[in-house]
Amino acid sequence: MNRTGFFALPALAVGTLIMAGSPAAAQDCTTKIGAVLPTSVDWGRPIAETAQYAVDLFNEAGGVKGCKVEMILRDTQVDPKVGVDAAKALVDLEKVPLLLGAVSSGVSMPILTSVTVPSNVMQMSCCSSSTAFTGVAEEGKTKGLWFRTFATTRNQAAVAAMLIRDKGYKNVAILYKNDDWGQDIGKLVAADLEKIGVKVTANVAINDGQPSFRAEVTEVLKTKPEALYLAIYPAEGAAVVREWVSLGGTQKMVVANSLRSDEFRDAVGLKYLGDVVGHDSAPPRTDAATSFVDLYKAKFNSEPNGPGLPNIFDAVMISLLAMEAAPELKGDQIAAQVAKVTDPAGMAVFPNVDGLKAAKAALAEGKSLSYTGGTGAVKFDKNGDVSAPAVGWTFSEGGTSEQTYFTLSDVDGFIASISK
Amino acid sequence: MIGLISYLVFFLSGAMILAIAVLGLNLQWGNTGIFNGGVAAFFGAGAYALIILGGPDRPGELGGFSLSYPLAILGGIIVSGVLALVVGIVTARLRHDYLAIATFGVAIALESLVRNAEYLFGGAKGVRGFQRPLEAAIADPFTYSLMFLGLVIVCLLGVYIGLERLVRSPFGRLLRAIREDETAARALGKSPANVRLQSFVLGAMIMGLAGGLYATFYAFVSPQDIRPILTFQIWAMLIVGGAGNNKGAIIGTLIVWGGWVASGWALAKFAPADWQLYTGTIQYILIGLVIVLTLLARPRGLFPEELTVSTATGPDGPVKPPERGTVSTGGQQS
Amino acid sequence: MIQSLFDGILVGAILSLGAIGLTMMMHILRFANFSHAELLTVGAYVALVFDAVFSALVPAFATKWGSLSLTAALAVATLLSIAITGATAVAADRLIFKRLRENAGPLTMVFASFGVALVMRNVISLLFGLQTMHYSNDIAFAMVISLDPLLLIKPDQFFVLILALTAMAALHLVMTRTPLGFALRAISENPPLAQANGINLKRMVTITWMIGGGLAALAGVFYALTNQISPIMGRDLVLSLFAATIVGGIGSVPGAFIGGFVVGLASSLALLVIPSGYNPALPFMIILITLYFRPFGLFGEER
Repeated sequence: MNRTGFFALPALAVGTLIMAGSPAAAQDCTTKIGAVLPTSVDWGRPIAETAQYAVDLFNEAGGVKGCKVEMILRDTQVDPKVGVDAAKALVDLEKVPLLLGAVSSGVSMPILTSVTVPSNVMQMSCCSSSTAFTGVAEEGKTKGLWFRTFATTRNQAAVAAMLIRDKGYKNVAILYKNDDWGQDIGKLVAADLEKIGVKVTANVAINDGQPSFRAEVTEVLKTKPEALYLAIYPAEGAAVVREWVSLGGTQKMVVANSLRSDEFRDAVGLKYLGDVVGHDSAPPRTDAATSFVDLYKAKFNSEPNGPGLPNIFDAVMISLLAMEAAPELKGDQIAAQVAKVTDPAGMAVFPNVDGLKAAKAALAEGKSLSYTGGTGAVKFDKNGDVSAPAVGWTFSEGGTSEQTYFTLSDVDGFIASISK
Repeated sequence: MIGLISYLVFFLSGAMILAIAVLGLNLQWGNTGIFNGGVAAFFGAGAYALIILGGPDRPGELGGFSLSYPLAILGGIIVSGVLALVVGIVTARLRHDYLAIATFGVAIALESLVRNAEYLFGGAKGVRGFQRPLEAAIADPFTYSLMFLGLVIVCLLGVYIGLERLVRSPFGRLLRAIREDETAARALGKSPANVRLQSFVLGAMIMGLAGGLYATFYAFVSPQDIRPILTFQIWAMLIVGGAGNNKGAIIGTLIVWGGWVASGWALAKFAPADWQLYTGTIQYILIGLVIVLTLLARPRGLFPEELTVSTATGPDGPVKPPERGTVSTGGQQS
Repeated sequence: MIQSLFDGILVGAILSLGAIGLTMMMHILRFANFSHAELLTVGAYVALVFDAVFSALVPAFATKWGSLSLTAALAVATLLSIAITGATAVAADRLIFKRLRENAGPLTMVFASFGVALVMRNVISLLFGLQTMHYSNDIAFAMVISLDPLLLIKPDQFFVLILALTAMAALHLVMTRTPLGFALRAISENPPLAQANGINLKRMVTITWMIGGGLAALAGVFYALTNQISPIMGRDLVLSLFAATIVGGIGSVPGAFIGGFVVGLASSLALLVIPSGYNPALPFMIILITLYFRPFGLFGEER
């Protein structure tokens, strides 16, 4: 096989492309970071797209330490073997000090165990929700290199229960995605609802890749719930809800942030989603011009669509700010700076170009920052977990609109009240 | 440079683990003609058993046996073997596609079980992370990965030499005899069912060893590790390498797995920036094309079976192995 | 219970429709073609394109027939899709499978078909994107047949049942009563002997791919109509289709028809006894049990 021929052609093409289209001519150095995300999966591609957008914004603001950031993106195929190998190649061959990803906990965990921690690389995931990470972090095994911008499932479940309570539903059926996040949130929501006196009529797992969800829907329909709680992804969500509505099921639904998606809204139709309320991490309570949603709209002409988008955006921004603050671009040194850029006492930073420029100036003066992005003023605990304030939202013509706001103390108060 | 070596050590560790599983499949399919569609089940049984037997206590879940590493990996091999024994007995009468779909079902069932039975197998979130033997004693990560690669290669060589001896032994000839013509073998007073079962169980135990090493490598296993794609990958490695040839099985693994990951690397490196979001999809197309083109160029694999039976071939040289695999029934029309 | 029973049959009808084509292909071409399911996807997308074209050209075509979601535009698009998908199948044969048939074992063909499936699926997702689509975003409501016990049936699904039954009967008659059927069966039983008797092997193989591809397109369109269209719909269906084919017995057209119901009923009734998380495994457990008692499927025979 003529390997040189195969590689040389695209390399040449890329070479000319970079030379022709380099926007930041002043930056003649590049800093590489790695990303392992499932770009070949329907909900994974927008996450990668948003990550790239965040990197572009950061470069517009001058990059990291005056160097252009280059994000090398690899597909995980949602296969742990493939994801781990891609991560290892990024770390060893491209020498990245920072790895973004993965999405599935089942891919993130082996990367953390066998690649990033042994090689002293910081790893930040947008979306891996497994409680197992908290466990290994507590044992000190992650050496402080692990972070995730995904609000803990504990919090999300509490907000879901609060929304159901506020709506006054008395009988609720739960449908959850049969992965680590779905199993977790399904269980927690069910427990919370029992505590506040709401009857859970059915708790049904929705498996990926099933040709039909009719059986699951029928099973739930038989229990005659007053409302549904859905913790599933847009593609399955559309299939399930279309089936549910067509069989005359109730249109009262409370849904997780994963269904905050145009794809889901359009596939089901807004007219059936009038009684839907969803929960999500809250964007900052500031003027609109600086919010992630507006930045996203300006770039993609739609609202953030699908699971994990504000989370990956924040993951990129926080990591890059931490890189800016780190004395050297080494995993542990970058990780050590995460606290400095997410310091509640620090200067508030918004992730637009001006905000980032101001942030970098402040860092140069040795000030700490309070990064306030797509999921609010992010603050990690010692295990790399975040808790975030939350919103309730509804579907609207243009996308979604916020309805209710839950501060962190609202949520914590609720959790405390039911754990008595 | 050190980075490249470090990566290659890592890549080879993964590839050689898969090669062990391919050797197990080669015993079952290449030598005995058993169409095992459930490779992931036996691989997964070994992986889960290792972590549960060798890992620390997990609150509320099965485990906490904390066996020493050699015992745990042996436990994984035995668990795979026992699973294969049960499956083999239940499916004793099945052939070809029917056997493939039945064993495939076993793999799906196992994935469902570990995904849902959280109190036993950790559920969808998987089991553990961070508990590799001797990792605390060997501080340097690179030395550790070299050591681990050494362990994997020792296991691979052990399996390879054992299988090479086996296929050249009278038992190996018996396996092929059954593969080629079961009725004739029975007429010679052999018990095909028994021999097939032995080969199936032995092959599954080898896969269990591979699974155990895999779980050691990542110190973690989850249902995502044992999805049907794994069975497909292992099979593709065997078919591309050449069924019936142990050397081919190993080289096929290197080529298929190497191509699998190298295509992703090359696309990330060389594809234009605008394409980066689509490289995952393009990578799948490349993988598909590589498999199809290799098979078109070398339909019997890169290293076809070497006939070890010296005499009694046909008048015009070695006998071409007859077609096997898919059976077509006569239909039910009367 | 009664609803689950009907659900199983109606969902199973789609599988029956897909499995009928598959069983015939497996019987005559003698290999498990994993790219068959991708032909369903191809069929659904081809129909999607032409449906849009016809609806735009002739607005009257876009109105629905009675309580079905089917429109004239989609019906014509489906006919075109059957032809185009059949041609795609023939092209795949000419490019790849024909060469392998001549000098490789069936298992080489199985894995080549895996490769073909990967290529087809991902080319489609490059062209159309990864998101799910629908022929019509309107939701087709189910008709209430009875309130107590609650029984709901969707007209579309009932239509699919009739269609599968028709396809099964037609193909069964062709295979058992016509010279073409005799020729096809002769090819599958003993190709050299059949050729010696003047049957044109090449033509028969082409016809088999045409019929198989056409039936796949039909199944793909109706799956898409009652569920959704996505690049991975074939992948999601492939296991159920093989399961249906094998439970019925490879080569048996009525077997495939019944096999579809067995698989559909298994996953539908399973939820009555086990948690839904285990649902993907259930059809295979049913298969294991079936094959334990009938090693060549319900209607298959050992040769």
